[in-house]
Amino acid sequence: MMSEESPAPEHLPEQSLYEVREKIYPRAVTGLFATWRWSLVWFTQVLFYGLCWLPWNDRQAVLFELAERKFYIFGLIFWPQDIFYLAILLIISAYSLFLFTAIGGRLFCGYACPQTVYTEIFLWIEKKIEGDRSPRMKLDGEPLSARKFAKKAAKHGVWIAVGLWTGFTFVGYFTPIRSLMGEVVSLSLGPWESFWIFFYGFATYGNAGWMREQVCKHMCPYARFQSVMFDPDTLIVTYDGERGEPRGSRSKKLDYKAAGKGDCVDCSICVQVCPTGIDIRDGLQYECIGCSACIDACDQVMDKMDYPRGLIRYSTEHAMQQKWGRKEIIAHVLRPRTMIYGVILMLIITAAGVGLSLRSPLKVNVIRDRGALFREEENGMIENSFHLQIMNVSETAHRYDLGVSGLDGIEIEHKRIIEIPSAATQSVMVEVHTPPKSGKKGYNRIYFEVKSLDDEKIAVREKASFLLP
Amino acid sequence: MKRLIWVLWPSFIVAGIAEILFFTLIDPQELYLFGEPVNFSRTTVYSLGFFAFWAICAASSLLTCFIQRDSSEVNSCMIAANCESRVGRKP
Repeated sequence: MMSEESPAPEHLPEQSLYEVREKIYPRAVTGLFATWRWSLVWFTQVLFYGLCWLPWNDRQAVLFELAERKFYIFGLIFWPQDIFYLAILLIISAYSLFLFTAIGGRLFCGYACPQTVYTEIFLWIEKKIEGDRSPRMKLDGEPLSARKFAKKAAKHGVWIAVGLWTGFTFVGYFTPIRSLMGEVVSLSLGPWESFWIFFYGFATYGNAGWMREQVCKHMCPYARFQSVMFDPDTLIVTYDGERGEPRGSRSKKLDYKAAGKGDCVDCSICVQVCPTGIDIRDGLQYECIGCSACIDACDQVMDKMDYPRGLIRYSTEHAMQQKWGRKEIIAHVLRPRTMIYGVILMLIITAAGVGLSLRSPLKVNVIRDRGALFREEENGMIENSFHLQIMNVSETAHRYDLGVSGLDGIEIEHKRIIEIPSAATQSVMVEVHTPPKSGKKGYNRIYFEVKSLDDEKIAVREKASFLLP
Repeated sequence: MKRLIWVLWPSFIVAGIAEILFFTLIDPQELYLFGEPVNFSRTTVYSLGFFAFWAICAASSLLTCFIQRDSSEVNSCMIAANCESRVGRKP
């Protein structure tokens, strides 16, 4: 899966290339952080491509069914009225990002961002077809030949296939994927479904195949405000200039310290592996997505030279200044900033969890009939009409009993049992009447009670106003 | 190319947010078009809605790009004849 090429000095002449070139040819890298990244590529993509096929109670387990305006996530069904939970989810994501960035820099960018993940997949395909960095650069420099055309066509063909499958999967989260598959097979796909599959597929192909680091450098808002979340104790990919400089190539046998040289052999491999094409030895730059490819690459060079690892490593500004070891760095992970982020995050997650577990599987909206304010019946009773919108948010059908209270003698006319199938809404017109002297003139507070006959725990009391003349 | 990204990309993000907020609160089937209830499918309205939001936001971004040119850029192009000579002139 990954390159076993040794970072050897024969790549030295390429050093001048990165300074003048525009297209970036990231060299494949292996090592601890590359393994982490690949684990996350697998994890996120098995989740993304697989989850939409998982069934749950005769439906798709995770489905954001836009056409029905219902979101299904395993046993939970969300309605537009639940936008509160969407807001909570966004707040949790934001605070997680703050917390992770404060601790470990751009962990999201380097390991889990879809841009990184798909670029990694597309680079792997590119490497399988065109070879690693040097053969790719050579191929691009060649005039067009049958061989070059075949390689390029194969690469773009596979890229487009992956892009389209990604687009199909994406749309499959918004329309049931099994019926979508049927439509694809029978070529009866709706115009908008086909459009969005191609749109998302093309975006994947363009972003991961062509745009790559430009998305991070020019389009990503997060890259621009990341520094707000950094502090001197944030772990970032750092080049140890004090140890590395003065850099320079040397023979392995040379006593470089006696010759006045630092540990950096200036092999430029850290630059070659960089997906955004920067030189980490110039210090922290906003282009750095924190992918740690340079750490893996440099460690391999250090091993070859029999120098200690970690010339480029995760470190903090304070640690560099005060020459802290691993222990002090870890001790500074817990600091007021991260503790505040952490506590707020835990509170919100707990509140959201409690809210979800206490969420009523029944929702009722009461709207007064706009047609008439009240009606006097022949027997002298006063009648008001209401629209009750009853939402069964649960996964089973329920029968509901309606009741009303709040005034002496108030009752529902033509009382009946309301039956609502699972995950459905029903609008019911209800006439309520009460003796004329049962309340004050004007609006009186009354309550509608909706109770499930199948499960007495499911009950909702909703207030309304009753107008008396 | 850079300008194209400046116009199309931020408007794409904002259109996405606007789309989510608008259609969470409003059911497409409750909308009226020229006094008639909208009888397209929800998917169609969502898609058209997104492009409408995108177009409006892109228009705003375009105007921002247009206005943010500094005075030297504007002055050099006041007269069409000047435009080429000044832009072409080396400092």
